[in-house]
Amino acid sequence: MREWDRDRMQDAAYMAGLMADCEREIQKGIIGQGEIIRQVMLAMLTGGNVLLEGMPGLGKTRLVSTISRVFDLSFKRIQFTPDLMPSDVTGTNIIVRKEQGSSFSFERGPIFANLILADEINRATPKTQSALLEAMQEHTVTVGNDSHVLEEPFFVLATQNPIENEGTYPLPEAQLDRFMFKILVNFPSKEELKGIVTLTEGSQAPVIEKRLDAEGLLAARTLVNQIPVADAVMDHLLDIVMETHAANPYIREGASPRAAQALIRAAKAKAFLEGRFNVAFQDVEEVTYPVLRHRILLSFEAVSKGVSEDEVIREILRTKKPQI
Amino acid sequence: MDRKVFLRTIRSCLVRLNLAGLFDKLVSALGIGAAVGIVFQAVSFVVPVYYVNLYMGILMMLAVLVAFVAAFLKRATMEQAALLMDGFGFQERIITAYENRNEEGPLVQLQREDAMRQLAAHRDRIRIPLWPSWKKTVFSVLLLAGMFGLALTPSKMKDRAKELHQIEQQAGEKEKEIEEVIEELSDLESEELTPQQFAALQEMAESLQSSLTEYRQADTEEALEAAGDKLNYKYGIMSSQIEDLARSLQNGGAVSGVTAQSMQAMAQKLREKSGNASQGPGGENGNQGGQSGGQSPGGENGNQGGQGDGQGTGGEGSGQGTGEGQGSGRGTGSSSTPHDYVSVPNAIADSESLTGNAYDHDASEYFRAQNGLSWEGNHVSHEAVIGSYERNAYEGIAAGKYPSGMENVIKEYFASFNQDQ
Repeated sequence: MREWDRDRMQDAAYMAGLMADCEREIQKGIIGQGEIIRQVMLAMLTGGNVLLEGMPGLGKTRLVSTISRVFDLSFKRIQFTPDLMPSDVTGTNIIVRKEQGSSFSFERGPIFANLILADEINRATPKTQSALLEAMQEHTVTVGNDSHVLEEPFFVLATQNPIENEGTYPLPEAQLDRFMFKILVNFPSKEELKGIVTLTEGSQAPVIEKRLDAEGLLAARTLVNQIPVADAVMDHLLDIVMETHAANPYIREGASPRAAQALIRAAKAKAFLEGRFNVAFQDVEEVTYPVLRHRILLSFEAVSKGVSEDEVIREILRTKKPQI
Repeated sequence: MDRKVFLRTIRSCLVRLNLAGLFDKLVSALGIGAAVGIVFQAVSFVVPVYYVNLYMGILMMLAVLVAFVAAFLKRATMEQAALLMDGFGFQERIITAYENRNEEGPLVQLQREDAMRQLAAHRDRIRIPLWPSWKKTVFSVLLLAGMFGLALTPSKMKDRAKELHQIEQQAGEKEKEIEEVIEELSDLESEELTPQQFAALQEMAESLQSSLTEYRQADTEEALEAAGDKLNYKYGIMSSQIEDLARSLQNGGAVSGVTAQSMQAMAQKLREKSGNASQGPGGENGNQGGQSGGQSPGGENGNQGGQGDGQGTGGEGSGQGTGEGQGSGRGTGSSSTPHDYVSVPNAIADSESLTGNAYDHDASEYFRAQNGLSWEGNHVSHEAVIGSYERNAYEGIAAGKYPSGMENVIKEYFASFNQDQ
């Protein structure tokens, strides 16, 4: 495999092609779930965090480990449990005995990695969950009086189980808002399942190769940020977000301004991944579901009628067509 | 594709888009105009509207104007054209490139090149229809056809509208003429007149006012004709009355010659009008002169007859009036134009002094008919007609046919009959 060319880091077309290569490489290790891989790639390209919701055993851990291998990023997995303490995540100051005398030394927790898999995040107490907040938003960890900067790129991929909610602590809205995407991991189809079984139980596991590194990923992020957006596309995007605040019997609380930021970033990343250097209406609409899904609060009427967030978003997209 | 070609391509799409918008608005406006025109035409089948076709034409012109104005006001911009072009599978490349046409930067440049490359490769995808949808066009054409079809369909109400219009035009001319005469009559009023003379002029003006009302209320040929006959008669009477006034003023000696002259001129004018308004010039003037002479008492009649004589020039008709008083009037007129008829009372027609009378069949054809202006009518019993007269009178009041203030007089008149019974 050829090494990526660092001299062409500013070449957007080259970098876009490289990202597409990365996506294909990840797909070698993950059967099916193409949409989920794409969305996780989008989040990585924009520096966003992802909340994966799905049943256990759907390949979430495998996905993260594959990504870490393809991008040559450090990867840590934290299993969230009710007795997990914040210091178990962030790290803590410990006394170090030296010849000159004892002193405190910061022992870095598992959060000090490029890729964090926060498995079953809703099983930890809110106190521990909130320990992630600063890291997710500011990319720093404060222990005592000292703040420690996390290594870039920093990316949290949290999972939660939609069933077995007993003894769990649902994520507070503030924390949910810090996830760029909420991705629903559905059960694979029979064909996909066959592929998964063949892949994992077969004698020859696929070789996942490194295609990029942290530096390349950060360079790609910079390029994504520079993608121009037409006024009409921006208007459409803002209309969608504003529509979540319009009178709607199914919405109790609309999306925050952070949703608009996430939408535009995700739409840019999607265009970039497709080798395009402008944002299309379609890009915006496709990323609306994972961006808004966890940012709109359904009303009692919606819950009682069994209306899901995706149905509400679909209706918003149906009514808010681009103004041509 | 370079930047200029890129912009030119968008501009050509813009022109096409604006043309399409104009055509669409034109078709819509004509359709709406035609729908309203159909309503106009339908109304003209139940209500006499003479200018319905004119209104229809104005409406269509207005529709076209509105379409042009709306198309101009709502004309598309380059951004809209670019956005529309993007709808043909360019995924907002063109609008982004257009909006950032003056920006520089590696990504913007890359995007612009990508947009131009895509546009050059897939330009044939862009198909902006120039004409509106066929459904809309067919619908509008059908409405237009319906409107013109109705316009060409004859109907009694349309004929009636035509007739009413002609009546209005004729009546309008007459009204103008009467107003002028009333004004001239008021000019004759001066301080030199005695109260009686002044009142006489006032009475003439009032009489003409009632003719004015008659013309305004005339809605049939017959009514117009009747009003015309009355007016002629009034003109004749008035001319002799004014003549008398002028003469008495001159005889009095205390009056300036100006007023008397004006009166003479006025009398002359009225006599001319009386002649012009009747069926032909020449002989009828003589007839009118004779008639006036016959109806007016005393020496004034002779004078009047003489003047009628002077007016007529050549022809078959002649009129002569003889008063029961001291004077006598004689009027002769001639005209090369043959007349339909000349109506005179039997007593005059039977007189041997009348040229072209019942006994002189070389100059005119004589017959007796009970429908002339001077026919005294048949006698019928009061009970036979009072009911229908009263009904007609009340209908006339309801229709506003009578001068204001006369309604109560008419009602009291018929009420007095009822009391008598």
